[in-house]
Formats: sequence, structure tokens, C-alpha cells
Amino acid sequence: MRRYILQRLWQGVILLILVTTIVFFLGRLTGNPADLMLPEDATEEDRQALIETLGLDAPIHEQFIIFISNAVRGDLGDSHRYRTPVVEIFFSRLPNTLMIVPAAMILAILMAVPLGILSALRRGGLIDKFSGTIAVLGIATPNFWLGMVLIYVFSVQLGWLPSARMGGFEHYVLPTITLGTFLVAGFMRLIRSSMLDILDSEFVKLARIKGMSETTVVWKHCLRNALIPVLTLWGVFMGGLVTGAIVTETVFAWPGIGRLTYEAVIFRDYPLLQAVILMDALLILLINLMVDILYAYIDPRIRLAE
Amino acid sequence: MKHRGLILGGLFSILLTFIFLIPPASAAQKGTLVVALDSLGGQNMDPILEGRASHAHFQAPMYDSLVGFNFEKGGIGPGVAERWELAKDGLSWTFFIRKGQKWHNGDPLTAHDVKFSLERTMSKESVASRSAALRRNVKNIEVIDDHTVRVNTNGVQVHFPASMSRAVFQEGQMMPKKYIEKVGAAEFRKNPIGSGPWKFVKSVPGDRVEYEAVDYPHWRGKPNFKRMVILLVPEESTRVAMVRTGEAAIASISPEAIKEVEAAKLKMISVPATMQAVYYLWGTYRPDQKDNPVADIRVRQALSMAIDRQQIIDHVMNGKASWPMPFATFGYSVDTDTERWREWTRKAFRYDPKRAKELLTEAGYPNGFDLKFANTALPGTPYMVQIGLTVADFWSKIGVNIKYKHYEWGAFRALRRGQKELKGAASMYRTAGRPIAVARYTSGFMSKSLSHLFGNTKKGMNLCDELCQSFDKLSLEVIQARDPDVRAERTNRMIEMVANSWVAVPIIEGMGYWAINPKIVGAFNPIPGRHEFGDVFERMPRADQKAWR
Repeated sequence: MRRYILQRLWQGVILLILVTTIVFFLGRLTGNPADLMLPEDATEEDRQALIETLGLDAPIHEQFIIFISNAVRGDLGDSHRYRTPVVEIFFSRLPNTLMIVPAAMILAILMAVPLGILSALRRGGLIDKFSGTIAVLGIATPNFWLGMVLIYVFSVQLGWLPSARMGGFEHYVLPTITLGTFLVAGFMRLIRSSMLDILDSEFVKLARIKGMSETTVVWKHCLRNALIPVLTLWGVFMGGLVTGAIVTETVFAWPGIGRLTYEAVIFRDYPLLQAVILMDALLILLINLMVDILYAYIDPRIRLAE
Repeated sequence: MKHRGLILGGLFSILLTFIFLIPPASAAQKGTLVVALDSLGGQNMDPILEGRASHAHFQAPMYDSLVGFNFEKGGIGPGVAERWELAKDGLSWTFFIRKGQKWHNGDPLTAHDVKFSLERTMSKESVASRSAALRRNVKNIEVIDDHTVRVNTNGVQVHFPASMSRAVFQEGQMMPKKYIEKVGAAEFRKNPIGSGPWKFVKSVPGDRVEYEAVDYPHWRGKPNFKRMVILLVPEESTRVAMVRTGEAAIASISPEAIKEVEAAKLKMISVPATMQAVYYLWGTYRPDQKDNPVADIRVRQALSMAIDRQQIIDHVMNGKASWPMPFATFGYSVDTDTERWREWTRKAFRYDPKRAKELLTEAGYPNGFDLKFANTALPGTPYMVQIGLTVADFWSKIGVNIKYKHYEWGAFRALRRGQKELKGAASMYRTAGRPIAVARYTSGFMSKSLSHLFGNTKKGMNLCDELCQSFDKLSLEVIQARDPDVRAERTNRMIEMVANSWVAVPIIEGMGYWAINPKIVGAFNPIPGRHEFGDVFERMPRADQKAWR
């Protein structure tokens, strides 16, 4: 197990170096921030002056060396746009995202697990049809549109909940539903199909022949095995949501990481873009490592293979 | 009983005292003005660190400008300086500072602060939009006395005071010398103080800026609300929803939201003449483009005649736009014969597809031609994409085969440098409403400018022909003409030269659009030409003070 974790960590380091290099050079292909910061009547001389002020006048390989040597000391630079250290900006926004993503995950698990199991147990029945409809709607509905509909109904028409922004408990309801709906659908379909496979497997038949109660068969033997692919998907979704909750964050004016990434791209804020992607990559790697370890614990075949 | 009269008289006197001494409830500052905006730029509270136009939303409430606005007509007016005058030799401007102004910590605002602010804006550290131009134009700054400051310029700079007003640029914002020197720049950025009618309270990056109203009379007006919060809400439908529910009092919107706002019975304000949507034709002066159809002036004129501007105003802009004047010219433009140009554009910008086709035939293109078209939208005006698409449709109708490509604004600005991909192509563009037209003209047409639509002389290549050289000479004359009549004559000639070239052609004159909850904010007037409300918030009454008609 130790060797397995070390191997994964080593792979992570290589991946981070690759991501850093690619982001540094690809980011610069999209244009110069000076072009966006200068007024319409700026001259070439004004442009050069601003480029020098931003520290972008050195050759690109020199800029890369400076960036790497600062990065290994934990200094990822200052944002061109906000003029503050990018690490500070990232960590001021991260908690905001981390407040809605786990909430959406909990909502997804609370709804998807029972619905997925019941759909598999009552295959073709009313619950299965109902949950199938929910799944199709959840996957097909763009969460951008869903967010706007929820605001219209629950804020504008009924006046029950606030339209946007961070605040008390009531502010979390609509963003959580918006972000969680897609997850509910995805998890539910996955649990249903995994359960169907497992319910039909030899060891389940054997358990039933041995006279085990249906509750034990379903909850102990089937669900535990059905959760293995769900766990993998959870890791992928969790990482993706932290960095990609941009639509929900935009609709609900939520100052999180997704919107920060978008702003960094649009304003060609190289230091911020590099930092955000690097930190995102690190976060995704950590989540995936955690999932891999859990996966190895749940499924002994992985440990044995190692 | 005999004292009854005395007692009653005493009570009556007390009652009168209360009536006259205690202000009516409506005059007291109360409530919070919540404003939802689509962008807060870099949300830097230090004026020298912000180069984007959104400073006029969130810095303007707390900082005063050396030169202010003409609130009724648009353009410039008194500010921190109540008046200013040009020296006889034209080489310096003297500003006379309004007396009795103070910073939010109580220190007096003096000429020393003015000198310090301008020098700080000119410093290397500054990324303010015109800091480099200020470095070029200003020789030095002298404090004559506490209320008089002189700016010595490099050459004659007749428009220098205008550049000190937020009506034009941001470089005139005043910063407190004593406070910054005492606490340092880093602390100033965290806890800034200004001299405006709103005091800074808190800034949460990516979310909001909070202010508190000053409780003393201010030359810009004493705010009617006690507090103000400017929120960043990027999604337009959310901003409108917040105004509908009362979570926000005001929100910036685009023309797409106008019908929704009207249906919701909200108040809508359209600030006139905040921008022009324009199309450019690039590199028509280049020898390697001489066979390009757009090098022929008849073709360029035909392209303008093919556009039905009224249709765009009525249907794309939902009726909330106006017929344009020539490039970067507005009703409030100074040194400009606006009546002449209004009349000229009525005829010159007419929709005449028949004549457009005739012109194409005369130019040798009866079956049309291929035209590359780069569509783009500047931040804050996403509807420009729709205008561009409509223009492309109109051009197709007269037989022009449009090679359409959409560019994100940042990518488009990079294309402008070198202009390789833009040679002989058309693109969308926008000019913001500013009272001094010459700055926009030099940036578009002067040979040293980044756009240089009339030609340039870079890297030893002389691509600046007669028209280009005449324009360079004329624009310098406009900048340096001290006689107002001569300046007006040169300005009108400059406008004429560009108008007759048909390389930068206005499509519509746009407005700034705002949704307002009339139950929170009362009736007020915006500043003509200024979309941002940073200099208007303090003049907004509460709904109980002045109802909308």
C-alpha cells in the first residue's frame, strides 16, 4: 500500500510540472494583458511602458525561469489585475467554493443512493420510471437555465429565497440544488446499473441460497460493491466541481474558484491563471489520490494486484 | 387659570422650535443603496492600480477629480478645482482649488495633495490608463499656495484640464498626500481614504465594495442614503431579479433585458450618448491592398448605404439607441458644429441599397466581392455582436460575400497589432462617449497610433501618404490651437476628413441602460454621456423623497 501511495505521489509531481509548463506557455499564446489594460488611444510607447511595469518585457524563457524559481519558494507572483499575491486571492476564494460543492455532493448522495437502489430492485416499476425521468431531466437540463428558473420561481415569484450572493443558510439552497441536480442524475444512473449487475451476480445468488435476509444482501453485499464505480466518479466530479462550478457561481454571483479562473483567462492575468490552474491541479490530484486509497481499501483486488 | 395663556403660549413655542430645528424625516440620511454591476474591473481601490473604466463606478464615489462634470449637459465642469486658466504662452495650466474641502480623516485637501496625486499617477508604478500620456505631457508641477497649483506642460496642451475629469479619463483623481506618506501605499490600498461624498468601508474582491455616506455638506452633494454597497453580479438575469425582489436598488443592464424590465414595471434609465458602435475598414491605405475592393471609396460608401440603421435601433436595440453623428462625435462634443454634423449624417448615413448596388457596379463589382469581417464586442457591450451580425446580413443583401469570424475582445486587440490578419478586412469597434473628440481621432488615425487607419511610418517603411500626413498635421493643430475659433475650425475639418474617408463608420449611438426599483430609489437624472453612476450616487434620492412621474 505504501509503495502504491508513493508511486501515485511521484506521478502527481510529474503531472504538476507538466501542467505548469503547458499553462505558462499556452497562456501566453492567447494575448498580452497590456492590450486589455491600455486605453483605446494608447501608443506603442504606452504599451511598452506598461509591459515593463508588468514585468513582461524579458524573453519568455527568462520569465519561465523566474516563475519556476519563485514557485519552488512558494511565490507564484502578483495578479496583474488585482495587484495582490495570487496565492492570497486563491485561498480567499477557495472556501466560498468549498461551501457549495460538498453541499451539492451530500444532496446528490442523499437522493441518488436510495433512488438508485430502489430503481434497481423495482426494475421497470413506477419508481424506476420516475427516477429515470428525473435522471434524464437532471442530465439534459443546463444548470445555467435551471438556476435562472429557480431564481424566477423561488425568489421573484414566491419571494421565499434570496436571488443570489453568499449569506445565511437560505442563500445556499438554490445554488446547491442547481449544482447538485446533475450529480443526482449521474450518481443515480450509475448506482442503478451497478446494482443491477451485482444483483445478477453469482455471489449474490449464493448469499440468497444460504438464506441471508434480503436487507443484508442488498445493503451489505450489493451496495458495497455497487459503490466502487460511484466512488471513482465521485472523485472525478469533486475535482471538476471545485474548479468548474463556474456556471453556478456566475448565476448566483458566488465569488468562487470557477469564476476566478474565468476572470484570469478573460483578462490574460498570467500569474493568476498559472496559480489557479496549478492549485486546481494539486487539489484534483489530492482528491484522486484520496479516492485511489479508498478504492484500494474497498476493493482488495487492487491491494493484491499491487 | 390666569397662567393658562402663558402655558399654552410656551407649548406652542416649543412646538414651533421642533418644527423649525428638527429636519424633516425625509432629509435625514438613511437606508442602504445596493447597486448590482456586471463588472468591478480589478476592484483596486488605489487609483493608480486601476486602468479599466469600471473605476468610474467604484472609485468615483470616494475620490474626487481635479476637474469634474457638467451635470446637466455632459462634458467637463468644476471639480476639486473650481476654475483653471491657460498661461499666455500656453505652456502651463493653473488650477484654483475649491476652499473648505477635506479628506475623510478630517485633513484639509490642498494644492500639495493635487501635486502629489498627479505625480503619483505619473509614477512608474502606475497602471492608470493614461499614465504614460501624462508622463509625456507634464514637465513639472508647482504649488503656488495652498489653493493654487500650476502644471507646466511639454508644449501646448489645450485639452489638459479635460483629461483631469472623469468625463474623459481617470488621471485627475485626488489622493491624500499626508495619509499615504504616513501609512504607506500598502496600508492605503487596504484602508483608503478619499475626499468624495462616500467613505470607504470594506472591499471583498470578486463580491462587493461597501461605503458610508459623509455626514457633512459636500460640493458634489450630500448622499441621501446612509450606506451604499456595490455588488458584482455578472449574470444579467440575476441582476434584474435582484432589482425585482428589492435585493438591489439599481442594476446595469443591456438592451436585451429592456423588455423584461419594462414588463416587471421597474423604472428604466437610458443614459444618452454613452457610446457609438462603429465598423472599421483596416489597411485600406496599404499598397498591397490597392486591388482590394475596400480600397475604392465608392465601395466603402456603398457598405454604409447598405445598412438600415433605423432597423438596428428599433429591433436590435429595442428602440433605446439613436442615429449616430460622425465618428466619436456626440451632442455634447466641444469645439464641434454638432448641428451641421447631425444634418450631414441624416443624409449621409441613409439606407439606400439601390444606390449602394449602383456604387458597387460603378466601382467594378456588380456581382459583389469577398469581405473578411471580424466581429467582436468590447467588455460591457455584448450587444455589439448582434449589431455586427445584422451589419453582415445587410452587406450580404447587396451581394457582398462575408467571410465572418468572431473574436473574443482580448484576441481581437492582439490582432490589431501588426494588423496582418486585418488588412483589407472590416471589424466591429466601439468608441465611448467623451466630450473631447480629438483623443479618439488621434487613436484611430494618427500614424503613431496602434490603429493608424490612415497609414503609418513604422520600421523604416513610409506608408503615410498625403491624407495620412495631412491628418497628423491637423490633429496636432487641434491639440495645440489656443484660439477657440481656430480649434473649432480645425476640429470640424478633422471630423470631415475622417467622415469622407468612410473607413470608420458609425452604425448607432448607444446608451447606458439601468434597471431601477422605484420603491427604493426616487427620480434622478444621469450625466449625459456617462454610463457609470459613480458621480451620480450621491444625487440619487430615496423613493420617499422624490417619486418617479
